[in-house]
Amino acid sequence: MEATRVQPSFGERLMLNLRSRPAAWIMIAMTLGFLVIIGIFAGPSQLVNTIVTGGMWALMAVGLALVFGVMNIPHFAHGDSFMIGAYVAYFVFTPIQASLRDNPNPVLSAVGPLIAWAAAALVGFVVGAIMEKLVFYPLRQRTRKGWVMNTFLLTVGISFVLVYGTNLILGPNFRGVPNYWNMPPIVIGSVRLTMERIAAFVVAIVAIVAFWIFLSSTRTGRAIRAVAQDEMGAEMVGINLNFIYTLTFALATAMAALAGASLLFMFPAYPTVGLKPLYFAWYVVMLVGLGNVQGAIVGGFIVAVLQTLTQQFFGVSYEDVVPVVVMILVLLLVPNGIFGSEVKGIQEQ
Amino acid sequence: MAALLEVEHINAGYGFLQVLWDVSLKVEEGEFVCLLGANGAGKTTTLRTIAGFLKPTAGDIRFEGKSIAKTPAYQISQMGISFVSESLNLFTNMSVRENLLLGAYRVLDKKKQLEALDFVFSLFPRLKERERQLAGTMSGGERKMLAIARGMMSMPKLLLVDEPSLGLAPQVVVAVFEALQTLRKEGVTILLVEQNVPSTLRITDRGYVMEYGKIVLEGPSKELMNNEHVRVAYMGI
Ligand SMILES: Nc1ncnc2c1ncn2[C@@H]1O[C@H](COP(=O)(O)OP(=O)(O)OP(=O)(O)O)[C@@H](O)[C@H]1O
Ligand SMILES: [Mg+2]
Repeated sequence: MEATRVQPSFGERLMLNLRSRPAAWIMIAMTLGFLVIIGIFAGPSQLVNTIVTGGMWALMAVGLALVFGVMNIPHFAHGDSFMIGAYVAYFVFTPIQASLRDNPNPVLSAVGPLIAWAAAALVGFVVGAIMEKLVFYPLRQRTRKGWVMNTFLLTVGISFVLVYGTNLILGPNFRGVPNYWNMPPIVIGSVRLTMERIAAFVVAIVAIVAFWIFLSSTRTGRAIRAVAQDEMGAEMVGINLNFIYTLTFALATAMAALAGASLLFMFPAYPTVGLKPLYFAWYVVMLVGLGNVQGAIVGGFIVAVLQTLTQQFFGVSYEDVVPVVVMILVLLLVPNGIFGSEVKGIQEQ
Repeated sequence: MAALLEVEHINAGYGFLQVLWDVSLKVEEGEFVCLLGANGAGKTTTLRTIAGFLKPTAGDIRFEGKSIAKTPAYQISQMGISFVSESLNLFTNMSVRENLLLGAYRVLDKKKQLEALDFVFSLFPRLKERERQLAGTMSGGERKMLAIARGMMSMPKLLLVDEPSLGLAPQVVVAVFEALQTLRKEGVTILLVEQNVPSTLRITDRGYVMEYGKIVLEGPSKELMNNEHVRVAYMGI
């Protein structure tokens, strides 16, 4: 059955990608090695932490890579999508929690957090779509000249508006949810796994896998990749670019919001909570190559490992330093990132 | 009855640079028409304007009687005009199969998609062999075939093809021309831009000759082949 032969799978593509890129190999091997070292020296709970964080950075970085790859926008307001997700989850979950206190309901207490997360993703999607239609769409109609620089400045501006707007309306206080579930941690040997961590990890993995399947084997996902590779070719086959742009931006925002919501137990919501995830997502995409979505998934875990190692062996205050140093080294040695970039030429006509 | 495509007195160009001056042409359903001319005459510009990537500053373009002069390119594609550009605009990081499936983006029926796939594979068996290869790693001739096949995947009513023979070895040119002839026998309407004048006139029904952005000659291909001006200027006889 020649005609129905399947596409190369994610694994096959990744392998193909890796075979020609020793830097990527080295980084992945080192990451796996370091994961073992973390497990042995820092304890299994640190290992779990690293994996949870890695999933989250991957979730953030995928959106960033997508927005750059498809729209050529260096998105510096991506952290604020995380912030929006955190607030939405807080404001949806707190009333649920309050009502549960008065009349306990096992079903609601199990799915309550999931409702809050879904709400965050949904709000993120809508906010992303509005942002695209309100800001980038009009700019694109006017001119593509200096697009990357202009959109960079615009996203920084959007970020300021969102951060200070939030500060004005909600104030600078922290709003957190220490436990989404009132359940004792699961203990396996010396590892204590809280439900929050497990759920955050599962959500990151499910979201990334679902997104991957969407991109690789649905009609619309294929259209998104087509636009990333050749805009004119995409229009030639009948793809509406404006629709794809809006969808892409909305999806990226939804994923960041989902990350913010599911990490609310680690990062309480406050106006600038998105800064750190923003920086780390940028470390990831610069490390693996701008606009490389597959690479961003692996890169999330690489950066999380670097982060844990730094905390463990140099102290928490160096947490940002080491990834930046690694990033600089990578940019000096492999300027396109360790996975190389699949991104179309940055349009500067 | 109106022709399938009617281009009427259009002016078009790039910014302040006007390239096309009062260009008119038409293509009847089922016809195989060519547009000839020297480098820089404005052939590509004409096709880009029909496909909606450039907007005419004057005149009108009608497809099946409806004006498409202001319609966005993606909608023109959805209406049934496939444009195979000179630069091909393939999705180089996707497999041949994915490129073809994207060609059928506007075909929602899965069964029709597979039929179209079978059709283009029968037209270009080579593509079937290379189904999983990345488009960017194909040879020049294979890429041309892929671009034409991608254009055919939506079973368009009109196929615009820009210089398919450019940069190909003679045997490959023959293969591409044969494929176009097969399409034509299948009843596909084609507007072909070419510089390879003798072979083009041999396979087409009618032709237009363009010089400096204007149509200077038109007529059945057989007549053009014997036309004194065409023979001197384009066939070097
Ligand atoms: N993107 C562009 N911007 C500005 N001018 C252009 C552009 N594309 C083409 N031109 C100009 O328009 C004129 C016609 O070009 P066009 O590409 O339509 O010619 P052509 O007949 O297709 O030539 P060829 O046989 O070399 O492909 C040329 O003078 C060319 O320099
Ligand atoms: Mg041309």
